[in-house]
Amino acid sequence: MIMQQVINAISLGGVYALLALGLAIVFSIVGLINFAHGELMTISGYSLLAMLLLGCPFPLAVMVALCSAAIAALLMERVAFRPMRGASVTSLLLTSFAVSSLLKVVLQNGISARPQAIAMPGWMTGAFSFGDMTVGVGPAISISVSIVALLALELFLRKSVTGTAMRAAAQDFDVVRLMGIPASRIIATAFVLSGLLAGLAAMLWVAQRASVDPMMGFTPVLKAFIAAVVGGLGSLPGAVAGGLLLGIIEVALQASLPPALAPFKDAMVLSGVVLILLVRPNGLIPAIQAQRS
Amino acid sequence: MLTVEKLEIRYGEVEAVRRVDLAIARNQIVALVGANGAGKSSTLGAIAGLIPAVAGKVVLDGQDITGMAAELIARKGMALVPEGRRIFPALTVADNLRLGGAMHLPAQEAKQRQEEMLDLFPVLRRYLRVKGGNLSGGEQQMLAIARALMSKPKLLLLDEPSLGLAPQMIDVVFDLIADLRRTGLTVLLVEQNVALALEIADHATVLANGEIVLSGTARELADSDLVRQAYLGA
Repeated sequence: MIMQQVINAISLGGVYALLALGLAIVFSIVGLINFAHGELMTISGYSLLAMLLLGCPFPLAVMVALCSAAIAALLMERVAFRPMRGASVTSLLLTSFAVSSLLKVVLQNGISARPQAIAMPGWMTGAFSFGDMTVGVGPAISISVSIVALLALELFLRKSVTGTAMRAAAQDFDVVRLMGIPASRIIATAFVLSGLLAGLAAMLWVAQRASVDPMMGFTPVLKAFIAAVVGGLGSLPGAVAGGLLLGIIEVALQASLPPALAPFKDAMVLSGVVLILLVRPNGLIPAIQAQRS
Repeated sequence: MLTVEKLEIRYGEVEAVRRVDLAIARNQIVALVGANGAGKSSTLGAIAGLIPAVAGKVVLDGQDITGMAAELIARKGMALVPEGRRIFPALTVADNLRLGGAMHLPAQEAKQRQEEMLDLFPVLRRYLRVKGGNLSGGEQQMLAIARALMSKPKLLLLDEPSLGLAPQMIDVVFDLIADLRRTGLTVLLVEQNVALALEIADHATVLANGEIVLSGTARELADSDLVRQAYLGA
């Protein structure tokens, strides 16, 4: 029983970590807190729905859904954020709110405000035995996907030139340009990565709920934002740590709180966040930025 | 190799640089000297494409590069070592060097170039896997210069290389700049330490309040009354 809760906690924390990472990557490079990140999830979810309705095989539909999130992220950058380059953090934040509301309204009026059911393949809702405990296929997939995504991202950021340049740009963007590395390539890559991560998170989120709706991205991205702040805004290891921590605390409270106190779960989680930030105002693992003389 | 004509830079209402002209011939060391806030770093920033110029013209090897993006200028053979070194503190020395040559050389050649840099700066070899931020000020300055040289530039812009370094380290860095010129490099050096700059430069230009007040060979400047009184304390 406890083992199952642990698995649930890691699986939820993994989704938060993927989302928080997407937010952190973009923030570390362009200083933008992208509140339209949730809409990337939503777009990915609806793409999955559309492809399945068109009779597309499940794996292909997932690929299309992931790509559509990445393309949507790239388009957001082109259309909304690039003209605002160099603007203040507040202006960027407001722009992302505008993009977010716009997309929500388009989805609500263009499709429906109601949730649409997605038929997940039967094998995903099953469970398998591992020793004397039963593990849901859903959480097991969720954990594996998160781990593989984190490792792949780590490998990309460490080994490839563009990945290394992205880590450098998070510290000192101008100097990266002095090395002849195009700013637009770094920014575009950051958005594509954040889109892919949002798409993956959307797939895992939808797999647990078997439906999509225009607001589906709101709650998880709000949680991921909290996770990114707790971890240290702009710090990638911090985003992962914050996401996992938040998932674990949520599941632990859900499992242990008596029913009378259950409605206060989020309030307790947020109080914990306030406490952590009081002790470590820059987050658990603060981002490193070059000091300017 | 590089000419700058009537360069003008503004930060909002403030005129930082007015009518600055510079000319650097191949294989020369030209020093741009002056007090803090005279507009030296702004001039370098505008040449490298990081700071937009309001007016004026920058020509590199016969090509007008005024207003060109910094990343494009960098690929035309100009490398800037910025003030305060600005190495990537959270990246290893090896990764810092790697980025310096990433856009200029194919992988195999970049490896070879890194070896050349490590021969030139032996202190860096021990620290290849160490994060740049953990190096001392002098070592960081070496890394910043090595990183810029990774791209095999024709023209090296150095912004205050002596800043914050111990006196012995300053000598090492300036000996190195003189050595680099012997290998055919052209150098534009910005320095607050006028005496030091005039020692290795061929030509020098003195900036004050964003304007050129004096220009000539290093010898002439070292002997001029203005420089002696205002900057050399003689």
